[in-house]
Amino acid sequence: MIFALWLLPFAGALAIWAFGPQLKRLAGALGAATVLTSFAIALALAGQTFTGRGVKAPLVSWAQGFSFGLLLDPLSLLWVFVITGVGGLIHVYSIGYMSGDRAFARFFAYMNFFVFAMLTLVLSDNFVGLLVGWGLVGLASYFLIGFWFFKPSAVAAARKAFVINVVGDIGLMFGIFVLFAATHTTTYAGVFAKAGSLAPLTVTLACFGLFVACAAKSAQLPLHTWLPDAMEGPTPVSALIHAATMVTAGVYLIARCAPLWDVSPEARALVGTIGALTALTGAVLGCVQWDIKRILAYSTMSQIGYMIMGVGVGAYQAGILHFYTHAFFKATLFLGAGILIHALHDEQDVRKMGGLARRQPFAFWAMTVGTLAIIGFPGLSGFFSKDAVIYGTLEHGYPLLYAIGMVTAGITAYYMCRMLFVTFFGSYRGDVPSAQLGVAASTNPPVAHEAPSGHEGAHAPAWLMQVPVALLMIPSVIAGYVWFGSRDGPLAYGGPGSLWFGYFTTNFATRAEAVQAAVPEWLSTVLVLALVGIGAFVAYRRYAASAASANAVERLRAESLTAWRPLTRALYFDDAIELVFVRPASAIGAAFARVVDPQVLDGAVRDVAWLAGWLGREMRALQTGLVRGYALVVVLGVAGFLVYFAWFGTVR
Amino acid sequence: MIATLIVVPILAAVLLLLLPRRAEGTAKWIGVAISFLAFFATIGLAGAPDESVRWLQRPFTANFHVGLGHGLSYWIVLLLTLSTGCALMATNVPRRRDFVAQMLFLLGAMAGVFLARDLVLFALFWDLMLIPVFFILLGWGPERSNSAWRYLLYNVTGGVALLLAVAAYGVLEGSTDLIGASLGHGASVVGNGWGLWIFAGFAFAFAIKTPVWPFHTWMPATYVDLPAPAVAVVSAVQSKAGLYGFIAIVLPLLPEQVQAAAGIMFVLGLVALVYGAVVALVQDDAKSIVAYSSLSHLGLIVLGIFSGNALALGGAAVYVIAHGLFSAGLFLAIDQFETREGSRSLKRLGGLGARNPKLAGGLTIVALAALGLPGLCGFAGEILILTGLYASGNVWPAVIALVPIVLAAAYMLRLFQDVMQGPEVADVPQRPDLTLLELLALAPLVVAIVLLGVNPGPVAGSANVQSAVSLVQGTR
Repeated sequence: MIFALWLLPFAGALAIWAFGPQLKRLAGALGAATVLTSFAIALALAGQTFTGRGVKAPLVSWAQGFSFGLLLDPLSLLWVFVITGVGGLIHVYSIGYMSGDRAFARFFAYMNFFVFAMLTLVLSDNFVGLLVGWGLVGLASYFLIGFWFFKPSAVAAARKAFVINVVGDIGLMFGIFVLFAATHTTTYAGVFAKAGSLAPLTVTLACFGLFVACAAKSAQLPLHTWLPDAMEGPTPVSALIHAATMVTAGVYLIARCAPLWDVSPEARALVGTIGALTALTGAVLGCVQWDIKRILAYSTMSQIGYMIMGVGVGAYQAGILHFYTHAFFKATLFLGAGILIHALHDEQDVRKMGGLARRQPFAFWAMTVGTLAIIGFPGLSGFFSKDAVIYGTLEHGYPLLYAIGMVTAGITAYYMCRMLFVTFFGSYRGDVPSAQLGVAASTNPPVAHEAPSGHEGAHAPAWLMQVPVALLMIPSVIAGYVWFGSRDGPLAYGGPGSLWFGYFTTNFATRAEAVQAAVPEWLSTVLVLALVGIGAFVAYRRYAASAASANAVERLRAESLTAWRPLTRALYFDDAIELVFVRPASAIGAAFARVVDPQVLDGAVRDVAWLAGWLGREMRALQTGLVRGYALVVVLGVAGFLVYFAWFGTVR
Repeated sequence: MIATLIVVPILAAVLLLLLPRRAEGTAKWIGVAISFLAFFATIGLAGAPDESVRWLQRPFTANFHVGLGHGLSYWIVLLLTLSTGCALMATNVPRRRDFVAQMLFLLGAMAGVFLARDLVLFALFWDLMLIPVFFILLGWGPERSNSAWRYLLYNVTGGVALLLAVAAYGVLEGSTDLIGASLGHGASVVGNGWGLWIFAGFAFAFAIKTPVWPFHTWMPATYVDLPAPAVAVVSAVQSKAGLYGFIAIVLPLLPEQVQAAAGIMFVLGLVALVYGAVVALVQDDAKSIVAYSSLSHLGLIVLGIFSGNALALGGAAVYVIAHGLFSAGLFLAIDQFETREGSRSLKRLGGLGARNPKLAGGLTIVALAALGLPGLCGFAGEILILTGLYASGNVWPAVIALVPIVLAAAYMLRLFQDVMQGPEVADVPQRPDLTLLELLALAPLVVAIVLLGVNPGPVAGSANVQSAVSLVQGTR
């Protein structure tokens, strides 16, 4: 069963890849069916997973200490549910979204391959298998970011994403080195059994390596720069890979390696701090974006920052809950945005939108639900999970991170409401000339979506796209209630120890090490809500109040042109990477190729080479050609050999 | 029967010359048939007993001793026969009859190198395998290129050093048989005075052949000038002769000298690893990128060999085969687009993938294997070598060796993307996609890349690989 769960999407990918032209439209259905079947199998295996120590299956053995197998335990089961459940819905949505694309089948082959790769990542029972999944999801992400490979910007974004992810891969490799050297095994069970007895420095080094991998995969500072560019891929890809699943692999890894993080305070401080800074940076940069997908990309970066902060400081349940709720509401947001983009002929700039609430009521409600969930509107899923993460930092003794988390919550409310208001409120600006809105001329003409002809104006999406979004809106609202249910009763507030969610976090159940926080939880919640209210109110004043709507065009133009440059340049991270790594590497390579190889190394043997050339020319002159020249060399060699040989023979 | 793997291809090469010059198709298919027959014969002969005939008695014992086992020799001969077969299948070089004859001679001579269990025999085949490559460079390389002479000069220099080392070893030891003499009795009797010189001779020959930095400058020129089928086999297999020599000869015969020289070899390996990778970053010729990436990857294998760690040594064996598979695949795929579009220049080409999806798919997989994608063969070798290195206390070499992995991703993606992706280039012909035959020539390599990537266990040796000897012979 576990093999079927794991390999069905891969079989689907192979079948679609091999028979894509014959399958035509069925490629999408086949892709969705295999993923949803995997989901059904996961449901069937759930009972087995919760009782006992999970479902196991051995695979191969490479060498001593390198034996691999599959493991489905509660933690991986939660990820499997999201990967195949949300993934299956996004597959269905994609049938509608990609229906006009020439490479329809190729898209589903890649998407199925991604699901397989992600399942490999979470089902592995060891670090090397994890790394295989880690690399393969990076490859799937590369394929899908560069899906429209005739666009130079997509090609560049794909390469950037892949190379930065390889930086993460080598971090993970380093972690494996350290752990293998210390424990002579690569399986989770083997390593964690010895986690307590390892030297603190060893654990910290290993955690550092593992966290480099998390930072690259989950877009944490300073390895986050690929994620906004990754929005070059089709929108369902952004929803599945760059929001709901792949980018949360870092959260999974840290949660999986809780036994290591538990014994390394340094690793906790590092990861918590980076997570908090990423949350803040993503939120701040989200405030100056105009591309609807880039706004969502920065919000993803920010929300993953929260998750990483949560699992980093030891609030594992809270961080995992935030992964779980985020998967739903962020997928809702991206797919809702996809409906808009699809309807507006690939327009992604919110300045060119406006007033879409009436034209696109379904997308409006979807995006509204998603936005309310992400900003933590009371009662919606994000409210519980974000609150749990923020309060968790305080409980585990990181008041500074707590403060950053609170401020970020306020900023999040601001930029998400900004996006919502600018897109859906006021009047439609699609026919206003770009220059009047301050939209810079694009260097990369949007040839992306090869939409079929016959799409006239903004229109309602097909049911294929609406049903999955509707199904995702439901958990976006209610997913947070898994936080309820405790020994006190099925409806009592349980928090990290809740009954329902507790099933998935049995790995951490015994590690309730929370300290008494100075601020009670209800007060903290009120404070967060106040900040969220302020953020939303400011956004309302600036973008939705009647005064703002009246002269929206001028205001947007002014804001576009006067934005603070460091923010529009995304704090110069890209420029720094270019300056510090890319250019020096190329310069050194060029210098080696032009100077060291031909001048220094060849120079040293040039005299000898000249001699050979001279010899060759003489041979040609004396005899009939090159063949004899070669023969002479061989004869001389053999003669030398024999002389030496004979001399030593007599010595003996 | 093992000897037939050497004799039959060489005989066939000679007999091919009896065919009429115009029988190019026939010659090609004879070449393909013999290569694949040899491939299956090798599988059939796995673990067969050694064959030995008395040869020299004085001044030392030398035997015509060949053995296959089921260790590294076995895997390399499989790689050799497979890559030769694939390379010949889709070839359309001019004067094919003569070309196939050269390739079959190369096949036989290289089989001799990897099957020889006697140092004199090894050295003999070592020199023999240079001859066809030299003639191919002369006959099929570009005019006005001195690469043939450069190849010959470098490698004959190494060959002479090898001969001297073999002779010295034989005289001191009394026998050059690898199984009979010294290995049977455990450690070598060669003392340190002569031992260091003998080691230097072997190491010099093997370092040039591999090549190890700074002896590599013959290699890019040779690889660029050789026609595709030849460079596929030379880069896949002939470059492994040096590494095989280190594993099969130097490690077991001269363990003390290996320990003494490990530091130097580590430095050279690391320099090659980084140097090759950064130079590959800036090349414009697709073949040059692969040539310099080979320099880098082979440096990694040198690290594995000299680490003195069983895991890393097993990883080195895996990487020897892995590099053979993906470099053969890369050179064959590059040849496919070069013969179509008339160029290998990254600046010139672009957007070929739109009309050549099969070619793009093939190039993707071999390039991914080369950049070490987890799940394919390159990764399996890398992780075993580097984990072994780190675990054996060589922390810094292992850490430094991580950097070229990122560079490999950059240069391999650059090669793939600049040729296959982006907008189509208007003035490039854009000829049709792979034919079935061309696809079949790449497919076995791709299958092997995946299989080895998923389970390198058999190549890495059984879990209790203790020494280079058991790795080469196989333990069962």
